[in-house]
Amino acid sequence: MSLKKFSELFTDLDSCNSTNKKIGILQKYFSSNEALENSWTIYLLTGKKNKRFISGRSIKTLFSEIYEYPLWLIDSCYLKVGDSAEVISLLLRNMITGKNIKYQDISLDELLNKSFPELSILKEDYKKLRVKEIWENIPIENLLVINKILTGTFRVGVSIGLITKSIAKLINLDEAIISHRLMGDFIPSEESYKLLIDKKINPLELNYKPYPFLLANTFEKKIIDKSINDFQFEWKWDGIRIQLIKRSGKVSIWTRGQDLVNKSFPELVEKISSIKDDFVIDGELLVWDFKQSLPLNFSLLQKRINRKAPSRKIQKNLPIIFIAYDLLEINGEDQRYSNLEIRRNNLEKHLCNWLNESKEELSNIFKISDLIHPKNWEEAETFKNNSRDNGTEGLVIKNKKSIYTPGRKKGLWWKYKVDPMQLDAVLIYAKGGSGIRAGLYTDYSFALWKDGELIKFASAYSGLNNTEIKELDRWIRQNTIDRFGPVRSVRPEMVFEISFENIQISKRHKSGIAVRFPRITKWRKDKLIKDADTLENAQKLMLNK
Amino acid sequence: MKEDSCYLIKYTSSGLYCELADAWIDPIKPVKRALITHAHMDHFTFGCDEYISTYETAVIIKERIGKEINIKTYDYEKEFKINGIKISFHPSGHILGSSQIKFSFAEEIWLITGDYKRQKDDTCKEYEIVKTDYLISESTFGLPIFKWDEPQKTTTDISKWVNSSQEKTSILFCYSLGKAQRILNEISKTNFKNNIYTHSSIYRMNNCYKKLGIDIIETKKLEQTKNNSDLKGSLIILPPALNKSSFLKNFKDSQTGFASGWMSIRALRKRSGYDKGFSISDHADWISILRTIKESKANNIFFHHGDSEALNKYLKEKNSINVLEFEYKK
Repeated sequence: MSLKKFSELFTDLDSCNSTNKKIGILQKYFSSNEALENSWTIYLLTGKKNKRFISGRSIKTLFSEIYEYPLWLIDSCYLKVGDSAEVISLLLRNMITGKNIKYQDISLDELLNKSFPELSILKEDYKKLRVKEIWENIPIENLLVINKILTGTFRVGVSIGLITKSIAKLINLDEAIISHRLMGDFIPSEESYKLLIDKKINPLELNYKPYPFLLANTFEKKIIDKSINDFQFEWKWDGIRIQLIKRSGKVSIWTRGQDLVNKSFPELVEKISSIKDDFVIDGELLVWDFKQSLPLNFSLLQKRINRKAPSRKIQKNLPIIFIAYDLLEINGEDQRYSNLEIRRNNLEKHLCNWLNESKEELSNIFKISDLIHPKNWEEAETFKNNSRDNGTEGLVIKNKKSIYTPGRKKGLWWKYKVDPMQLDAVLIYAKGGSGIRAGLYTDYSFALWKDGELIKFASAYSGLNNTEIKELDRWIRQNTIDRFGPVRSVRPEMVFEISFENIQISKRHKSGIAVRFPRITKWRKDKLIKDADTLENAQKLMLNK
Repeated sequence: MKEDSCYLIKYTSSGLYCELADAWIDPIKPVKRALITHAHMDHFTFGCDEYISTYETAVIIKERIGKEINIKTYDYEKEFKINGIKISFHPSGHILGSSQIKFSFAEEIWLITGDYKRQKDDTCKEYEIVKTDYLISESTFGLPIFKWDEPQKTTTDISKWVNSSQEKTSILFCYSLGKAQRILNEISKTNFKNNIYTHSSIYRMNNCYKKLGIDIIETKKLEQTKNNSDLKGSLIILPPALNKSSFLKNFKDSQTGFASGWMSIRALRKRSGYDKGFSISDHADWISILRTIKESKANNIFFHHGDSEALNKYLKEKNSINVLEFEYKK
């Protein structure tokens, strides 16, 4: 029985800003709870792929229909609250008393394994009855958690890292092992929790799991004081980082987001299966233009990921390649604690053998990441500045002596990114934010000039600090021209410097261009809207890149 | 629809104005004659020729600004006349001395609620139901997501929060007038035994309340030089203006909380930057606003203070009352 306990945990974690205290709270919770419930707790808190039993929209509609409540009023409330589950739990307090309830407490397993899966397949009218019955029969203070579980939206500032730390502390085992055990899909069960906290390490237990990824830090100026020969330089590709695993003959492709994506890339699975050795290789997956020897637009790669079981035609039109960075395991032997130089040598040696043995078929899909050899730091900078020429977004700098450890540890790898492209654009629309930014206008759309008209070219959410957000929110409210639902069009008056990583032709947008990772880098209060950039300037950027 | 100028009460750049009485209600600029609903500083402007309020409001205002002003006082319900307009103050339940103001002229009654609440509060007189034709209601919390818990629940939470972190100093921020005294009054009904320190601005208001006959638990005045190791396990009550100020550097191991109606929303709680939010308000929640409209028997309603869009639309759809809006003059 532990919805109640879990709800208290949620409240405690939510009102705690200290990492150490959070770990303490989690440790206490795990040690005083049943294994099965703990496994569901981990599933909910890490939120890897929480099942959504009801969408945010439907929970609002259900409430509206059950209690004959105006939907527009729920939407007005949403603008202030920013979370459908919370809006409904707040509104419910006007509807129910919380007295004479049937379910004083209920186990997470019962909810997640039985009640909710059953609920989600009910026909609308029955669903309404069932949801009403649940809402009216649990303690009011558990409503928020129930609704969050229903809508699959658990974000409490508890990262997988925190869970890892608290479990590691709880059983006094190395974090790296817990973190490895938590990689990939964590399927909640008594068994899976017991395995997670098992003090004995079974060498086979992690067989199908990727290693925790080593992540690069942002470039720090101070490393140029060191000799350039201490570092290995590679291009920074804009694809998806993956671990390609072949163990006991079985191939699995894991993304950094811990998704198993074998189904999206059958051609890679097929060709890799023909390699005689077992291995784990860290690398990047890209959609490739073989004629120009350049990667294709990231959006095409996304198309490939989203398509499970792609047809031959798609495989042909959107061909992929895997660029290998690092050898983490070979024939069952963990390589991660050898230094990078040794790992790289082994990678080159093995890849060379594999390519020789498999004729040319493998080389179409499997490449090694080319090393770059700048003679000094100035030259490294030049490489970085020109990186767009070969479709990369900068360099990755790796300490040759680095071992492969989980996370973003200092002093191992750095990303040295090319300066973003920039345009000055005019704010024309603003939309209310959600989550923690609820009640503030924080989602902005920007426009460029074309023949005396402002054409929307990008939306951005990030880059302003809290003071600026508040100031701009006030300005938006005072300078609204028109309102369409949650969106306001505002007087064109404010100019912002927008930075982005890439620019591409797009038929979907009125402006005819699409930019990647747009964000605000400066509020140009010094500029008038006539000084903002034109679409022509944007097109020039595209040609020059 | 009537023009603003035809109404007994209208909206001007200085605030709500009764032209016939030549009096402003809680003016935001210095004017000739100001009727003051209560002693919060956002309802008071320096430099008016004449002020009129309840006795309690006058005492608190003078204590806060520390000097004499030309202020005339009337008891609750006591009717007085200005230029033939009958005017009276009625308890609004917001803070000590707070009042609604009723205007009667030629068979027509107008009622300005000022800030009000319908919850029980032992530090001030309970809201009085006043029948009126025109109601001008505040709408600070004009959405149905706002529904206040019983204050005992909030003070029990505060008490638990302090007690579960005895190794820390618990700093609770809240408005120094009204909210602080209400919390202190409520907390004295729980079995809270720890020391309570209050900032001088709150300490002064406590004394003022006591002088006016309100029961406030004894607190220690917080001295800036106080050795903070003595403060572990105590509750310190500070005005919100001191959050993130250098004043806080005096307290090393501390946890912070904020007591306000806004804290019932998670996003606002998170954005506020306090460790913990306690939802307690001296304003009317959605249900109380609707109840007040109904009980006032008003045929016409204006909202003033706060976002009233949802309330306007909701009442228009129900079609049970004439929803009016002032022609706002900027």
